[in-house]
Formats: sequence, structure tokens, C-alpha cells
Amino acid sequence: MTPNTGTYVSGIGHGVLILWALIGGLFLRANDPLPLQSTEVSLLTNEEFAALSAPKSSPNVPSETPEVIPPEAEEPAPEVTPAAEAAPEAVVPEASPPPSPEAVPDQPQPEPLPAVDVPADAPVLPEPPSEQPSNAETSAPDATPQPAPATRVAPEAAAKPEPDAEVSDIATPEVAPDVSADTVAEEKPATAPEEATTEIVTEAEKPSAPTTSVRPRSRPVPPPQVAQTQPSDSPSEESAKVDDAVAAAVAEAAENTNSASDSRPAPSGPPLTGGEKDALRVSVQRCWNVGSLSTDALGTTVVVTVNMTRDAKPENGSIRMLSFEGGSEAAAKQAYETARRAIIRCGASGFNLPVDKYSQWQTIEMTFNPESMRIK
Amino acid sequence: MRLIRTLSLVALCLGAGLPAIAQDRTGPLRIEITEGVIEPLPIAVPTFVAENPAAQDYATSIAQVIAADLAGTGLFREIPKEAFISQITSFDSTIQYSDWKAINAQAVVTGAVSASSDGRITVKFRVFDVFSEAQLGEGLQFGGAAGSWRRMAHKVADAVYSRITGEGGYFDSRVVFVAESGPKDNRLKRLGIMDYDGANVQYLTDNSSIVLAPRFSPSGDRVLYTSYETGSPRVFVLDVGTVQRRALDVPAEAMTFAPRFGPDGQTVLFSLSEGGNSDLYSMNINGGSMQRLTSTPSIETAPGFSPDGSQIVFESDRSGTQQLYVMPASGGEPTRISFGQGRYGTPVWSPRGDLIAFTKQSNGRFHIGVMRTDGSEERLLTASFLDEGPTWSPNGRVIMFTRGTQGAGGEPALYSVDITGRNLRKVSTDGPASDPAWSPLLK
Repeated sequence: MTPNTGTYVSGIGHGVLILWALIGGLFLRANDPLPLQSTEVSLLTNEEFAALSAPKSSPNVPSETPEVIPPEAEEPAPEVTPAAEAAPEAVVPEASPPPSPEAVPDQPQPEPLPAVDVPADAPVLPEPPSEQPSNAETSAPDATPQPAPATRVAPEAAAKPEPDAEVSDIATPEVAPDVSADTVAEEKPATAPEEATTEIVTEAEKPSAPTTSVRPRSRPVPPPQVAQTQPSDSPSEESAKVDDAVAAAVAEAAENTNSASDSRPAPSGPPLTGGEKDALRVSVQRCWNVGSLSTDALGTTVVVTVNMTRDAKPENGSIRMLSFEGGSEAAAKQAYETARRAIIRCGASGFNLPVDKYSQWQTIEMTFNPESMRIK
Repeated sequence: MRLIRTLSLVALCLGAGLPAIAQDRTGPLRIEITEGVIEPLPIAVPTFVAENPAAQDYATSIAQVIAADLAGTGLFREIPKEAFISQITSFDSTIQYSDWKAINAQAVVTGAVSASSDGRITVKFRVFDVFSEAQLGEGLQFGGAAGSWRRMAHKVADAVYSRITGEGGYFDSRVVFVAESGPKDNRLKRLGIMDYDGANVQYLTDNSSIVLAPRFSPSGDRVLYTSYETGSPRVFVLDVGTVQRRALDVPAEAMTFAPRFGPDGQTVLFSLSEGGNSDLYSMNINGGSMQRLTSTPSIETAPGFSPDGSQIVFESDRSGTQQLYVMPASGGEPTRISFGQGRYGTPVWSPRGDLIAFTKQSNGRFHIGVMRTDGSEERLLTASFLDEGPTWSPNGRVIMFTRGTQGAGGEPALYSVDITGRNLRKVSTDGPASDPAWSPLLK
């Protein structure tokens, strides 16, 4: 690069700049002048301003109420007289012939009942010894236990319903006939969910009572001698039979599950949404009553399968226990029966499931895990 | 190169995940139920069928006792008979499940009673699961003297309870207790025995001397208790059938109290006080030498065996306050298991072996509580001016205890509570009662 290069570049640059300053305006559109906004104003006198800003007084209301003009009385409706031919006739039912022996449904025949003899000597006690007379009156203690707020423990608390209200999952007000209403509403009693609390509150604790100790990692294993201390022979025999029955049922269920699921068409179409699954879960858990379960059964999780009809009702005969975990077979049987009862009871009127997704829910596996119910 | 490696990893992940997704789509719908409800199971107990006129009264009464037993647990709710649609007119008639479903009965107990001319009655029953439309277990029948009809009713209730809940019942059992009378400063006490529900009360001793802390033997045929009939506390053993009693074979000058049978029915644990110091001893019920289990200057008392007989739980103030300890049955170093605020006493091991019931005094209130055998998961079930002396039902599901009331006119009474803390009930007794001890199930 020569020393004059910079001079040339500088000269050319400055020349271009001078030319742009002189003739550049020819290539630019002249800016239009900005439009001016004008607002008309007027001057107010003090009196006019005071009159405008003064609080407005309420308009005069006529003290007399307008006379209510009743609608013109319509002509009375013609009396409806039932047509003579519409009158129901007393129909004497024909005497149905007695069912033939073949038509009689299977009636459980009285099986030979195992007899247990109750010894008469055990309850008999000798005459009580003589006692010294007591001159004190006896009376019941005045302190009686306060009842719990609600005997029902449910996932959602519910206040005590009105005495006349019917028990229902949804609270609705009572609909009474209103003679003054234009349209006659159907009379319905009030409904309210059954009174419930969310956890067991003992006499000794309040809901906010602090926990007293840390939950252990594992439950102590009861000594084997406990089983030997069963006071009666008959329960042990029964439990043995129950164990066999449960084992057979589990084996049968394991065999049948594959074949049953294989015979059904595979689900197709969109899966159930989370909300749809939650609705089903809520429907079942409303009827899952673990209140009568043993503590052993309350520690048992069971997996139950059920086939569904298209109207979202369970096929009761298809309900089977697939597996269980955490308890004995006898406890699993109790837990399964409770789960089965919940499915049948709350499914009797059909679950709220989308019909167009039937292939997704024609077979349902429900896992009943009572862990959180143990510490309620 | 790096891009190729990343793409390969993504492809691998997709390849591994897709089959799982596909499998889920082809399988059944799966949901998990973790929240349920806890409420009494509605149960129907129609009046039993009287198979002959002589059995009519028994049929009615037995069904009433069965229903009361079941409803008294708090696990069942009896459906009033007025609501029944079906009537059971024959023991072998078909159950109309739809009728029972309509009134929300989830179980139905049917039965029949027959009376014979030799003074015996036979009670038979069946249990039906309404919503499963199936019979629960087989039918069963009990036979015995007509005077034992309550026992037969309790036995039926035990069987029904067992079939529905899966655990043994506790209705065919008894309670021995201290029946009290007289003013508070001059209380007269005697031993009474009754059915678990307060019926059939009979007295085993007179009230000429103070008696305390009766405890059943594992077979229910004997009772240990403490009596002051010699002027100082002394342990006696009483035969329930003959009401014959004798003092435990210990030195006459020793004060012995707080006895309890071992699971073998031969070993007896008790406290022995000498010179103001109480320690634990064991000995054979038929005599022999005493075995000293503790030897400390503190007060050790209220010993009780674990169901397997391998351990002993007791209360001691060796730490400065009254606390619970567990030690081997042959003696040895005890382990403290109670660490909450307050004082703990009268521990009793559950028949199931998994819990220990106790009395706790804290902040001026008395509680009945349960804890695991290692002291964890302490739960207080009751609270009142005075709750003490828990005893377990034969199935380990219910605890009976004494509740005292405040004031000069205060009287003790027996109460029971489920181990969940629900179903707190007063046990019906003729008068003031304290110190209950539950028997095992009768044979």
C-alpha cells in the first residue's frame, strides 16, 4: 500500500459525503407534516362547575305502588274425565303352574353341618360366697365417652347431612313445589354426602397431635407360638380350608388371566385421560370399606382383575384376584372379598367411563393398597 | 462423530422404551386404589328359625345376642329388622340376594334353633356375602345345654366375625374383675367374673378383705390375684370351677403382688417387696424355689410375659421415672422401651405378640396406649381423669381398662376400646368395677 492510498480513500469518501449532502434529498420522500389534534374547550363559570360537581339527589319515587293488575282469568280448563275405556281393569293374574322340578333354580341343599358340642359345665359356677352387706348406693359414673365427630372415615370429610336429606355422593338442595313459580319444578328431596371425617381421631389425640415416635423399618415378626394359642380348633380347621381355597383360587386366576386377556381384543384408540382414570378410581374407593378388615388384611395389597360390559358395569363372575402382597393367604382372601364388594357395589349402576374408549377399559386391573388406611 | 453417537443413543432409548409403551397399550387398564372408607359393615341378622315351639324364645334371644356381639365391635352395623324385605322362614330357604342388596345389607346371618326334650338345644347358622351372592364358609352348628344358650350365641358370633374379618373373635370369653361397693374411703372389694359383655356376673370371693389385680391362667380355669386377707398383700391362686383358693408358696413375711401367669400356665411372675424394695421373681405355681429376676434398689413391678414366654415386660423407676422395660424371661439386662413424656406403667403384651398396651400419665391426664414391642409407634387411645390397667381381648383387637371419675362420688367403671382408638364403650356391670382381666376364648 502506497502512502497516497489513504489520501485517495479519504478524498473519495469526503466527495461522496458532499454529494449526498447536496443531492441526497432528491431520493427521499418529503415527510408530511404531522396532523394536529385540536379539542374544543369552553369556559365554565363557578356556578356551572358547582352545579356539575354537586352530588346528585335520588329521583323522586312515587310513594304509591302501582296497582297490580291480575291477569285476566282464563276460562276454566275443561274437566278431564277419563275415558271409560281407559279405566284399568282389574286383571286377575292367571295362576301360574307350579314350576316343574327341572325349572327350580339350584337351591343350596343343606349340607351336613359340622357339629360342635358346647360343654355345659364351663359356664356353670358354684354358688358365690356369702358377702357382707353394702350400704352404699351404686350409680353409674357420670363421665361418658364423647362420641367421635363421625364414625365414617372417608378420603373427603363431609359435614353431617340434614336429617331429611338422602345420602348421595353429590349435595343438592331440596326442590319443593312452588305454587307461585311459572314452571312446575319436579319435587326432589335434598341430598348430601354421608357424614365423614378424614382420619380416626382417638379420644387421646387431636388432629394436630404430634407424632410420638418414628415408624420402624419393619414390623416385628410375631412369634410362632401365637398361632398355637388359638383357643378353638374349629377356626384353625376353617383357616386351613380357606388357605387351600385361596391357593386354588390364585392358581386358577393365574391360569385364567392369560387366556381371558388373550381372548379379548387388544385395546385400540386413544387411552383414557388422567381425569377419566381418576373418576373411576374415586368411584371404586367410595365403596372400598376396610372398616371390618383384620389388621393383617389391612397390611395386604391385592391386585384384582375385572371384565367390564359396554355399559361400564363389572361382570361379577369375572372378578378374580391376580396376586397379593404383604399378608397371609387368609388375609388376602379377606382383602380380596372387600375389593370385590367395592367393585360390585359401586359398579352396579355403571362406572362413568367413555363408551368410545371401551376397548381401553374392557378389562381393568385394580390394585387395592390399604397402606394409607392403616394409619387413618 | 459426536452427532452420530448422540443419535445412536437416542435410537437406543427409543428402541428400549417403545416396546414398554406398546405393551402398556395392549394390556388392561390399571388403576391403584389407596383411599377407601372406614365404616361399619351393614349386616342383617334375622331372627333365627325356631324348629320347634320349645325353641322359640331361644331363637329370638340368640339372634339378638349375635347381633349385639357383632355391632358392639364397631366393625358392623346391624340393619333393623323393620327394614327387611325378605323374611327367613326356613333355614334351608334360598337367599333372595336382591332383597338384601336393596337394603344395603352386605352380609346376612341365618340360623335355626331346635330344642330337645332332654334340655339341650342345637343352634345352626350360615353366613352369606350378599354382593358376592355366595355363602361364606360352611354352615356350622353348636349343641349344648339350654342354659348355655348365651355361650352358643357368642360362639356363632365368633364364627361370623372370623369369616368376615379374617381374624378370630372374642365373644365367647369372660372377664374377671374387682367389684367395688361402699364409700370411696372405705371401699369393699371382691372378685367377680362375667361374660365379656357384662352378662352372667358371679362372684368368686367375699368382700371381707381387699383384693387386687386378678389375672387369668392361659386356660382360663384359674385366677391369680392379690389379697390383703393376711394383713399384707399376698398372691393367691383360685380355681374358677371350685372357688377353692390357696396362697402362693412364698415366705409368709414377704409382701407379694402383681402376679401374672406365664404362657405355660405353670410359671408365675410377681413382685416381691422386702425392706421397701420391690423386685421381680418367678416360680412354679405348684411350689418350689423362687427365681429372682431383678436386683436393683428401684421399684420393679407389673411384670408380664410375651406370648412365646421368651421375654418379660415390666415397669421400673430405675431411670428416675416410671418407665417400661423388656428383658429375657430368665432375667438379664433390661432394655428400656418407653421414651415419651410422662410416666408409663402396667404393660401388657398383646396375645398376637406385636403390641404392648400400657397406662401413661402425662400432663395430669391418664391414657391407655399401645406401642410396638420395641417402643416405637406409640399411640394413645384414650384420655381421662383416670384410665389404667389395660387387658387384651383374646384376639388382640380390643383393650378393656378401668376408668375412674373425679370427686368424692367418683366410681370406677370398665371400658373397652378398639386398638385403632375407635369404638370406646362402657362395659355394663352391676356396680363400680375395676381391674379387669380378659380370659382366653373358652373351650
